[in-house]
Amino acid sequence: MKLYYFSVAGVLLSMGLSATELPDRQAQLPSVPKDANAQYLTPSALSTIPKGEFGDKVTKGYQLFVNSQQMRNQYVGNELNCVNCHMNAGNKANASPLWAAYMAYPAYRKKNDKVNSYQERIQGCFTYSMNGKAPESGSDVLVALSAYSYWLAMSGLMNQFNLTGDVPVLSDAELLKGGNRPEFPLPEVISAKLDQKALTMLPGRGFPKLDKPEKPYSIERGNSIYLAHCQACHGQDGQGVKMAKVSALPPLWGPQSYNWGAGMHRVNTAANFIYENMPLGKSIQLSVQDAWDVAAYINAQERPQDPRFKGKIEQTKAGFHQHDGYYGKKPQNVLLGEKAYPNFPEASQ
Amino acid sequence: MNKNLWFSKVHSWRSTNKVTSQWAQSANFSVSRLWTALIGSTLSLSVSASIPEASPKELLETVPAAAQVCLSCHGVNGEGLGVAGPRLAGLSSEYMAQQLSHFQSGKRQNSTMMAMAMTVQGDTIKLVSDFFAAKPVAAISLQYRGDKVVISDIGEKLAFQGDWEREIPACTSCHGPSGIGAGQFPRLAGQEPSYFKNQLLAWQKGTRTGDVDNMMGNIAKKLTAAEIDALTQYFSAQK
Repeated sequence: MKLYYFSVAGVLLSMGLSATELPDRQAQLPSVPKDANAQYLTPSALSTIPKGEFGDKVTKGYQLFVNSQQMRNQYVGNELNCVNCHMNAGNKANASPLWAAYMAYPAYRKKNDKVNSYQERIQGCFTYSMNGKAPESGSDVLVALSAYSYWLAMSGLMNQFNLTGDVPVLSDAELLKGGNRPEFPLPEVISAKLDQKALTMLPGRGFPKLDKPEKPYSIERGNSIYLAHCQACHGQDGQGVKMAKVSALPPLWGPQSYNWGAGMHRVNTAANFIYENMPLGKSIQLSVQDAWDVAAYINAQERPQDPRFKGKIEQTKAGFHQHDGYYGKKPQNVLLGEKAYPNFPEASQ
Repeated sequence: MNKNLWFSKVHSWRSTNKVTSQWAQSANFSVSRLWTALIGSTLSLSVSASIPEASPKELLETVPAAAQVCLSCHGVNGEGLGVAGPRLAGLSSEYMAQQLSHFQSGKRQNSTMMAMAMTVQGDTIKLVSDFFAAKPVAAISLQYRGDKVVISDIGEKLAFQGDWEREIPACTSCHGPSGIGAGQFPRLAGQEPSYFKNQLLAWQKGTRTGDVDNMMGNIAKKLTAAEIDALTQYFSAQK
């Protein structure tokens, strides 16, 4: 594993990535095993967001999160909303909740080989999952999304330890850093019970890791699963359903979905997500095998180009795609990535 | 009424143009009531115009024969007639065609509609569905998710935020902003309140089924009576 890691790093260095880029080596999204007895944080209700400047930032963060299309053509380049993957407005355990993510950053990420602040992590979402353009560091958008995440995390922790009162206000600069740092202001009652390591691995973080499938995953079987359980919402062509000019139901591939650099294009990440969170509202539970198969089917379709693409699929594949995914492969006699859609496309009508 | 009798009558009558009026009579929908409905809807349409654009008779001639059986309950413009029938305008053709087949197969149970749906078969299903899908609905001021953050109304809160502790997604995550609907997801905005409520109850009871994986039955079963009332009030008021 280590050997592999160093070899990838070597490729990266040889490609001469500049420090300003946000390369993405597709490290798997962090996940902690699902524990049936886990106590998940319960952040406070939105109605308790305080009045005033700080509360306004929290509110704006929530609004950007559930209706990300208001940033379309500015920072968002597809028809997705953050809430499409982070259920319940980023509040649901096992759906990459913001409260767990916030407490896990700053953190070193293999993805770009450096310590990432919380705002840098969100910038990555804009570049890849939202197939757009990352907001400038320190921008209002990043402050708002950080403030909302912080408020969920801190109110959740305070509720867990029966602390009353308002969530302490942080400066914008502090908000953008994230909660995983020694100087992060934490009430003593909490820090006495939870060390920093525990705070970075809150139960429910990320998408829970799914067991390996019994049989190797199959695009063909995935196609059947898709038609039986997914197309009602996402369309037979995977393009979702638009209502009142927004994709009420998100596109899963094609020009308006996440790009070849997003974590969700990994078959394992998508399988983890699907098993835990789909179909929406859980009217049925897919089997482990079905979740892997359908994740393979969805991710064996063409989508927007990897933003790190420099003109050669082989190079992008070697540098960033040595994992469970179909970029640069020919799963159905079509070389994926070759006809990738442009990044940051115009909105469809 | 004996179900088999209904079926045999319907099958022997379908594909003749006279079916609709005969059917309306035998199903206790009098012709006079049909005309009342037509005149009523024409009057309401022409409130702002001094001269009606079309007489009730002319209007009736624009309705495909197969769709005429629908008018006494759904209105000549699919606008819905209170407790008599829900609004069809604003629903997609795809959805209406699907529901007609569900009434025919018994996935949706409603004695009146089961019989009425039987009069529409084959290509006419699409014809009738397209006809009502093309009827306009007044534009409403749309509310998108996140427009309101603190929501006190139970129905509106479920509509835009759901209740994830019970795995209830926001209604608008499938039915769209303000519940305007598209494709297989019906428009909820402005629907007849009694119909809306009865549908949620039917999903709960299992007398309405037919969607993929029983998505809607699963959600409806989690709703309390008070939540159903609140949702009914909220969505019906969006018009």
